[in-house]
Amino acid sequence: MRRLSYLFREAWANMRTNRTTTVVAILTTAFTLACVGIFLLLYVNLRSAAGWLQEDIKIMVYLEDRIGREVAQELENQLKADRMVAGALYITKEQALGEFRAQFPSDSHLLEGLGENPLPASFVVTLAPNFRSPDAVKRWAERVRTISGVAKVDYNQEWIDVLAGLIRYIELAAIGVGIILSAAAVTIIGNTIRLTLFARREEIEILRLIGATRAFIRIPYFLEGAVLGACGSALSLGILKVGFELFRQQIRSAGRFSGIENMLSFFPVSMCLALIAVGMGLGFAGSFVSLRRFAESRT
Amino acid sequence: MDGPKHGLSVVPMDAMIQLIHVSKFYARRAALADVTLEIEKGEFVLLMGPSGAGKSTLLRMLVGAERPDEGQIFVQGKNVTKLRQGEVPYLRRKVGSVFQDFRLLTKKSVFDNVALPLIVQGSSPVDIRRKVTEALRAVGVDHKKDQAPSSLSAGEQQRVCIARAIVNGPIVLLADEPTGNLDPERTAEIIELFKLINARGTTVIVATHDPHVMSQVNRRVIALVQGVMVPEQRVGV
Repeated sequence: MRRLSYLFREAWANMRTNRTTTVVAILTTAFTLACVGIFLLLYVNLRSAAGWLQEDIKIMVYLEDRIGREVAQELENQLKADRMVAGALYITKEQALGEFRAQFPSDSHLLEGLGENPLPASFVVTLAPNFRSPDAVKRWAERVRTISGVAKVDYNQEWIDVLAGLIRYIELAAIGVGIILSAAAVTIIGNTIRLTLFARREEIEILRLIGATRAFIRIPYFLEGAVLGACGSALSLGILKVGFELFRQQIRSAGRFSGIENMLSFFPVSMCLALIAVGMGLGFAGSFVSLRRFAESRT
Repeated sequence: MDGPKHGLSVVPMDAMIQLIHVSKFYARRAALADVTLEIEKGEFVLLMGPSGAGKSTLLRMLVGAERPDEGQIFVQGKNVTKLRQGEVPYLRRKVGSVFQDFRLLTKKSVFDNVALPLIVQGSSPVDIRRKVTEALRAVGVDHKKDQAPSSLSAGEQQRVCIARAIVNGPIVLLADEPTGNLDPERTAEIIELFKLINARGTTVIVATHDPHVMSQVNRRVIALVQGVMVPEQRVGV
């Protein structure tokens, strides 16, 4: 117990002795991790936007003009029996015309010259939640397109594809930037620990000579690295939160994208805790690298 | 337990330290050349020789800080040359070290400096308080326990260093030029302290180049010149 309290006191003493270096390390780590956080925040929000779009997806299955109500009924039964389908609503030709007139009253005269109603009957299909991924939607649409009596299957694939592509790019960018800036954070913390090790090299030598094990000598530096990483990470979350709220306020006051500000969300608490843990891990890694180099330089 | 297998035909049961044909080279120069010796349990030995004779190298080898290029070293029957890195700290807990420059932690009090070997080996707070108080009393600086080492005289700092070396009851005490920074009066006091520690049963090895120390100790002398051991002489008993 005394040994444990000694190790914690040593870690605290290290940070207090090198106060300026400690503060600089926490600040630089915080800003570095905040840069990674921006990409993460973008990624999280785009993913949830994609989720909403995906949930809202409606697939139009247009029927050939030649088929009668009985065949349409059979098709409806077939669609409703499909495990991928959550719901299918039949829209008759007349209903389609009515909706067109209601939606485009100024253009309704265009249809009058044609005599017969040119709009096809259709089904508005909603897929079950498990089958709303772009790939699943595409595969389902291709399958239904081959059914006899189906003229065309239509859905907002382009939007989904664009968004999915964008998310992939953001994901790659977040991973790339994350790796580079995490390495930077490891280096920053590692250098701070190296300075401490250098300042206390004689003390470390004394500890070795009186029989301290490698773990006993190293633990205070691991603790210091972990604390620096955790503090840097927590501060970066604070910076991001402030920036996020300012951005949301800016959107609200601009009034051009009304409603969007309520769709934006910050990291959930669990993710904040996970990011602090990641910061701790990076600090730990920084200490590990420095201690290894230090040990190599002393042998 | 590893036993010495070559070099010496008869191994005394109470041998505390044995060096068998030990050599150490730095850039092809021999710091120690084919040194073979035995130190018995409870002995007081002076390791004499000018600077660069190999005294410090020998002491460093006894605590596993250096490894010989040739030969074998045994401490209490344990082959030090074959110790794994993780075993070295446990050897050092049995061998106390005293240094010429004291090597005290300037930011810690005298008490905390002396307590360090006990903290390292996980002693209880009650044990630490008792043993540190005893060690400080034994070397005569118990009244300075709360002071910083920098506020003490050189002689007092060396006493604190000795207290730290004996606080966990080592079987061997190694002192490398312990009087190098002290005046003759303090030197005499420190030597008396070593004699007292030795009288309690601890094997004491003092490396020095100071001939005055030899005249005060009157015990076995092992002389080294340029890494080579010269024939032994025993001064008094």
